[in-house]
Amino acid sequence: MSSRRSRSRQSSSSRITDEQINDLVSKLQALLPEAGIRSNERVSAASVLQDTCNYIRSLHQEANDLSERLSELLATTDASSAQAAIIRSLLM
Amino acid sequence: MPISNPEAKEYRGRKRKRGSSSESPHSPPRRRWRTDAERWIYSSKLLEALRRLRRSSPAAPPKPRVVREAADRALAAAARGRTRWSRAILSGGRPLRLKARRPRFAAIAAGQPRKGSTPAMPGRMRPTPTAIRRRAKALGRLVPGCRKASFPTLLEEASDYIAALEMQVRAMSTLAEMLSGSSRSARLGASEQT
Repeated sequence: MSSRRSRSRQSSSSRITDEQINDLVSKLQALLPEAGIRSNERVSAASVLQDTCNYIRSLHQEANDLSERLSELLATTDASSAQAAIIRSLLM
Repeated sequence: MPISNPEAKEYRGRKRKRGSSSESPHSPPRRRWRTDAERWIYSSKLLEALRRLRRSSPAAPPKPRVVREAADRALAAAARGRTRWSRAILSGGRPLRLKARRPRFAAIAAGQPRKGSTPAMPGRMRPTPTAIRRRAKALGRLVPGCRKASFPTLLEEASDYIAALEMQVRAMSTLAEMLSGSSRSARLGASEQT
Protein backbone atom coordinates (compact mmCIF):
# COMPACT_ATOMS: atom_id res chain seq x y z
CA MET A 1 0.00 0.00 0.00
CA SER A 2 2.80 2.41 -0.70
CA SER A 3 1.80 5.60 -2.31
CA ARG A 4 4.11 6.47 -5.11
CA ARG A 5 6.30 9.42 -4.54
CA SER A 6 6.32 10.54 -8.07
CA ARG A 7 5.10 13.64 -9.69
CA SER A 8 1.63 12.34 -9.61
CA ARG A 9 -0.75 14.46 -11.55
CA GLN A 10 -3.66 13.31 -9.53
CA SER A 11 -4.53 15.80 -6.92
CA SER A 12 -5.58 13.62 -4.04
CA SER A 13 -4.57 10.05 -3.57
CA SER A 14 -2.46 7.86 -5.74
CA ARG A 15 -5.28 5.40 -6.19
CA ILE A 16 -7.24 5.64 -9.34
CA THR A 17 -10.99 5.72 -9.36
CA ASP A 18 -13.10 3.97 -11.90
CA GLU A 19 -14.20 7.26 -13.33
CA GLN A 20 -10.65 8.32 -13.89
CA ILE A 21 -9.97 5.11 -15.68
CA ASN A 22 -13.03 5.49 -17.83
CA ASP A 23 -12.20 9.05 -18.56
CA LEU A 24 -8.67 8.26 -19.66
CA VAL A 25 -9.86 5.32 -21.68
CA SER A 26 -12.42 7.37 -23.52
CA LYS A 27 -9.77 9.96 -24.34
CA LEU A 28 -7.64 7.21 -25.75
CA GLN A 29 -10.56 5.87 -27.69
CA ALA A 30 -10.94 9.23 -29.38
CA LEU A 31 -7.52 8.80 -30.91
CA LEU A 32 -8.18 5.49 -32.52
CA PRO A 33 -8.98 5.32 -36.20
CA GLU A 34 -12.59 4.32 -35.73
CA ALA A 35 -13.28 7.03 -33.24
CA GLY A 36 -15.93 8.60 -35.39
CA ILE A 37 -17.84 5.41 -35.86
CA ARG A 38 -17.68 4.21 -32.35
CA SER A 39 -18.03 7.37 -30.41
CA ASN A 40 -21.59 6.69 -29.33
CA GLU A 41 -21.09 3.12 -28.36
CA ARG A 42 -20.30 2.06 -24.89
CA VAL A 43 -17.16 0.18 -25.57
CA SER A 44 -15.48 -1.63 -22.77
CA ALA A 45 -12.17 -0.37 -21.51
CA ALA A 46 -10.60 -3.68 -22.31
CA SER A 47 -11.53 -3.49 -25.95
CA VAL A 48 -10.28 0.07 -26.24
CA LEU A 49 -6.98 -1.08 -24.83
CA GLN A 50 -6.99 -3.97 -27.25
CA ASP A 51 -7.68 -1.67 -30.18
CA THR A 52 -4.97 0.64 -29.00
CA CYS A 53 -2.46 -2.20 -28.93
CA ASN A 54 -3.49 -3.29 -32.39
CA TYR A 55 -3.24 0.22 -33.72
CA ILE A 56 0.22 0.76 -32.31
CA ARG A 57 1.33 -2.54 -33.74
CA SER A 58 0.01 -1.60 -37.15
CA LEU A 59 1.79 1.75 -36.97
CA HIS A 60 5.00 -0.04 -36.06
CA GLN A 61 4.49 -2.33 -39.01
CA GLU A 62 3.98 0.61 -41.33
CA ALA A 63 7.11 2.21 -40.00
CA ASN A 64 9.03 -0.98 -40.63
CA ASP A 65 7.72 -1.25 -44.16
CA LEU A 66 8.61 2.34 -44.85
CA SER A 67 12.06 1.74 -43.42
CA GLU A 68 12.54 -1.09 -45.87
CA ARG A 69 11.39 1.11 -48.70
CA LEU A 70 13.62 3.97 -47.63
CA SER A 71 16.53 1.59 -47.32
CA GLU A 72 16.03 0.44 -50.88
CA LEU A 73 15.55 3.96 -52.14
CA LEU A 74 18.70 5.14 -50.42
CA ALA A 75 20.55 2.37 -52.14
CA THR A 76 19.32 3.21 -55.60
CA THR A 77 19.05 6.96 -55.52
CA ASP A 78 22.58 7.19 -54.27
CA ALA A 79 21.30 9.97 -52.03
CA SER A 80 23.68 12.34 -53.67
CA SER A 81 24.00 15.66 -52.04
CA ALA A 82 22.36 17.37 -54.97
CA GLN A 83 19.18 15.40 -54.70
CA ALA A 84 19.10 15.61 -50.97
CA ALA A 85 19.57 19.34 -51.13
CA ILE A 86 16.62 19.60 -53.47
CA ILE A 87 14.46 17.55 -51.19
CA ARG A 88 15.53 19.52 -48.21
CA SER A 89 14.74 22.78 -49.86
CA LEU A 90 11.28 21.48 -50.55
CA LEU A 91 10.84 20.37 -46.99
CA MET A 92 12.06 23.54 -45.42
CA MET B 1 22.88 18.36 -29.48
CA PRO B 2 22.15 19.50 -25.96
CA ILE B 3 18.66 18.90 -24.91
CA SER B 4 17.67 21.92 -22.95
CA ASN B 5 14.19 22.31 -21.80
CA PRO B 6 13.07 25.83 -22.42
CA GLU B 7 10.15 24.20 -24.14
CA ALA B 8 8.97 22.84 -20.84
CA LYS B 9 8.54 26.34 -19.51
CA GLU B 10 7.12 27.52 -22.76
CA TYR B 11 4.74 24.65 -22.77
CA ARG B 12 3.40 25.61 -19.40
CA GLY B 13 3.11 29.14 -20.58
CA ARG B 14 1.34 28.01 -23.70
CA LYS B 15 -1.32 26.35 -21.73
CA ARG B 16 -2.30 29.70 -20.41
CA LYS B 17 -1.89 31.60 -23.62
CA ARG B 18 -3.52 29.02 -25.81
CA GLY B 19 -2.38 31.01 -28.76
CA SER B 20 -1.54 30.56 -32.36
CA SER B 21 1.04 28.30 -33.47
CA SER B 22 1.65 26.05 -36.09
CA GLU B 23 5.00 27.06 -34.77
CA SER B 24 6.24 23.57 -34.37
CA PRO B 25 7.67 22.29 -31.16
CA HIS B 26 5.79 24.82 -29.12
CA SER B 27 2.45 23.65 -30.34
CA PRO B 28 -0.26 23.12 -27.77
CA PRO B 29 -0.82 19.53 -26.69
CA ARG B 30 -3.86 18.98 -28.85
CA ARG B 31 -2.03 19.92 -31.96
CA ARG B 32 1.24 18.32 -31.10
CA TRP B 33 2.56 16.07 -33.80
CA ARG B 34 -0.19 17.25 -36.07
CA THR B 35 1.07 20.49 -37.47
CA ASP B 36 2.65 20.72 -40.88
CA ALA B 37 5.63 22.51 -39.46
CA GLU B 38 6.40 19.67 -37.10
CA ARG B 39 6.17 17.18 -39.88
CA TRP B 40 8.48 19.20 -42.11
CA ILE B 41 11.01 19.65 -39.39
CA TYR B 42 10.91 15.99 -38.55
CA SER B 43 11.26 15.03 -42.20
CA SER B 44 14.32 17.17 -42.63
CA LYS B 45 15.89 15.83 -39.44
CA LEU B 46 15.22 12.34 -40.63
CA LEU B 47 16.73 13.07 -44.00
CA GLU B 48 19.82 14.49 -42.31
CA ALA B 49 20.13 11.38 -40.22
CA LEU B 50 19.79 9.16 -43.25
CA ARG B 51 22.40 11.10 -45.14
CA ARG B 52 24.75 10.77 -42.19
CA LEU B 53 24.17 7.06 -42.27
CA ARG B 54 25.01 6.91 -45.93
CA ARG B 55 28.16 8.92 -45.43
CA SER B 56 29.32 6.75 -42.59
CA SER B 57 29.07 3.61 -44.67
CA PRO B 58 29.07 4.58 -48.32
CA ALA B 59 29.55 1.06 -49.59
CA ALA B 60 26.49 -0.51 -48.08
CA PRO B 61 23.06 1.07 -47.96
CA PRO B 62 21.61 1.37 -44.47
CA LYS B 63 19.63 -1.65 -43.43
CA PRO B 64 15.93 -1.24 -42.71
CA ARG B 65 16.45 -1.74 -39.02
CA VAL B 66 19.01 1.03 -38.96
CA VAL B 67 16.65 3.30 -40.84
CA ARG B 68 13.87 2.52 -38.40
CA GLU B 69 16.10 3.22 -35.44
CA ALA B 70 17.18 6.51 -36.93
CA ALA B 71 13.56 7.42 -37.53
CA ASP B 72 12.67 6.52 -33.95
CA ARG B 73 15.54 8.48 -32.53
CA ALA B 74 14.64 11.51 -34.56
CA LEU B 75 11.07 11.16 -33.38
CA ALA B 76 12.13 10.88 -29.77
CA ALA B 77 14.37 13.92 -30.14
CA ALA B 78 11.45 15.87 -31.49
CA ALA B 79 9.57 15.13 -28.29
CA ARG B 80 12.13 17.17 -26.38
CA GLY B 81 12.28 14.99 -23.34
CA ARG B 82 8.73 15.57 -22.32
CA THR B 83 7.55 12.02 -22.49
CA ARG B 84 8.62 8.75 -21.06
CA TRP B 85 8.58 6.95 -24.36
CA SER B 86 10.87 9.46 -25.98
CA ARG B 87 13.34 9.36 -23.11
CA ALA B 88 13.33 5.58 -23.23
CA ILE B 89 14.15 5.58 -26.93
CA LEU B 90 16.94 8.07 -26.55
CA SER B 91 18.49 6.21 -23.67
CA GLY B 92 18.62 3.26 -25.97
CA GLY B 93 17.53 0.72 -23.43
CA ARG B 94 14.96 -0.91 -25.61
CA PRO B 95 16.03 -3.37 -28.27
CA LEU B 96 14.17 -3.03 -31.50
CA ARG B 97 12.04 -5.99 -32.37
CA LEU B 98 10.97 -6.10 -35.94
CA LYS B 99 8.76 -9.08 -35.31
CA ALA B 100 6.19 -9.04 -32.59
CA ARG B 101 7.17 -11.32 -29.80
CA ARG B 102 5.82 -11.93 -26.35
CA PRO B 103 8.65 -11.91 -23.85
CA ARG B 104 7.80 -13.70 -20.66
CA PHE B 105 9.82 -13.88 -17.52
CA ALA B 106 13.07 -14.09 -19.39
CA ALA B 107 13.02 -10.46 -20.34
CA ILE B 108 12.06 -9.29 -16.90
CA ALA B 109 14.64 -11.46 -15.24
CA ALA B 110 17.30 -10.20 -17.59
CA GLY B 111 16.69 -6.82 -16.11
CA GLN B 112 16.17 -4.50 -19.01
CA PRO B 113 17.30 -1.09 -17.91
CA ARG B 114 14.59 1.45 -17.65
CA LYS B 115 15.91 4.89 -17.28
CA GLY B 116 13.60 7.41 -15.80
CA SER B 117 10.66 5.19 -15.13
CA THR B 118 9.03 5.32 -11.80
CA PRO B 119 8.55 1.82 -10.49
CA ALA B 120 4.96 1.10 -9.76
CA MET B 121 3.28 -2.16 -9.15
CA PRO B 122 1.71 -3.20 -12.41
CA GLY B 123 -1.07 -5.13 -10.83
CA ARG B 124 -1.90 -2.35 -8.48
CA MET B 125 -4.58 -0.80 -10.57
CA ARG B 126 -7.57 -0.59 -8.35
CA PRO B 127 -10.60 -2.49 -9.01
CA THR B 128 -9.82 -3.31 -12.61
CA PRO B 129 -10.76 -6.73 -13.81
CA THR B 130 -8.17 -9.07 -15.20
CA ALA B 131 -8.92 -8.31 -18.82
CA ILE B 132 -8.05 -4.68 -18.43
CA ARG B 133 -4.95 -5.46 -16.48
CA ARG B 134 -3.78 -7.91 -19.10
CA ARG B 135 -4.36 -5.53 -21.98
CA ALA B 136 -2.74 -2.71 -20.10
CA LYS B 137 0.32 -4.85 -19.67
CA ALA B 138 0.39 -5.55 -23.36
CA LEU B 139 0.12 -1.85 -24.04
CA GLY B 140 2.92 -1.17 -21.61
CA ARG B 141 5.14 -3.44 -23.62
CA LEU B 142 4.35 -1.61 -26.82
CA VAL B 143 5.00 1.89 -25.62
CA PRO B 144 8.68 2.39 -24.91
CA GLY B 145 9.62 2.94 -21.32
CA CYS B 146 6.19 2.19 -19.98
CA ARG B 147 6.37 -1.35 -18.81
CA LYS B 148 6.01 -0.37 -15.22
CA ALA B 149 4.13 2.85 -15.65
CA SER B 150 0.97 3.49 -13.76
CA PHE B 151 -2.25 3.21 -15.63
CA PRO B 152 -2.90 6.93 -16.09
CA THR B 153 0.68 7.51 -17.15
CA LEU B 154 0.49 4.63 -19.55
CA LEU B 155 -2.60 5.98 -21.24
CA GLU B 156 -1.16 9.44 -21.47
CA GLU B 157 2.06 8.17 -22.93
CA ALA B 158 0.18 5.95 -25.35
CA SER B 159 -1.84 8.89 -26.62
CA ASP B 160 1.23 10.97 -27.28
CA TYR B 161 3.10 8.03 -28.73
CA ILE B 162 0.29 7.26 -31.16
CA ALA B 163 0.17 10.82 -32.41
CA ALA B 164 3.94 10.84 -32.82
CA LEU B 165 3.92 7.53 -34.67
CA GLU B 166 1.26 8.80 -37.04
CA MET B 167 3.41 11.78 -37.86
CA GLN B 168 6.41 9.55 -38.30
CA VAL B 169 4.58 7.34 -40.77
CA ARG B 170 3.32 10.33 -42.73
CA ALA B 171 6.76 11.91 -42.85
CA MET B 172 8.50 8.71 -43.86
CA SER B 173 6.07 8.03 -46.67
CA THR B 174 6.41 11.58 -47.93
CA LEU B 175 10.16 11.17 -47.86
CA ALA B 176 9.88 7.90 -49.73
CA GLU B 177 7.72 9.55 -52.36
CA MET B 178 10.22 12.31 -52.85
CA LEU B 179 13.16 9.99 -53.00
CA SER B 180 11.48 7.71 -55.49
CA GLY B 181 10.41 10.66 -57.56
CA SER B 182 13.85 12.17 -57.60
CA SER B 183 15.49 8.86 -58.34
CA ARG B 184 13.22 8.43 -61.30
CA SER B 185 14.01 11.85 -62.66
CA ALA B 186 17.69 11.34 -61.98
CA ARG B 187 17.70 8.18 -63.99
CA LEU B 188 15.95 9.93 -66.84
CA GLY B 189 18.12 13.00 -66.72
CA ALA B 190 21.32 11.24 -65.78
CA SER B 191 23.43 14.29 -66.33
CA GLU B 192 24.54 15.73 -63.00
CA GLN B 193 25.14 12.77 -60.78
CA THR B 194 27.80 13.16 -58.16
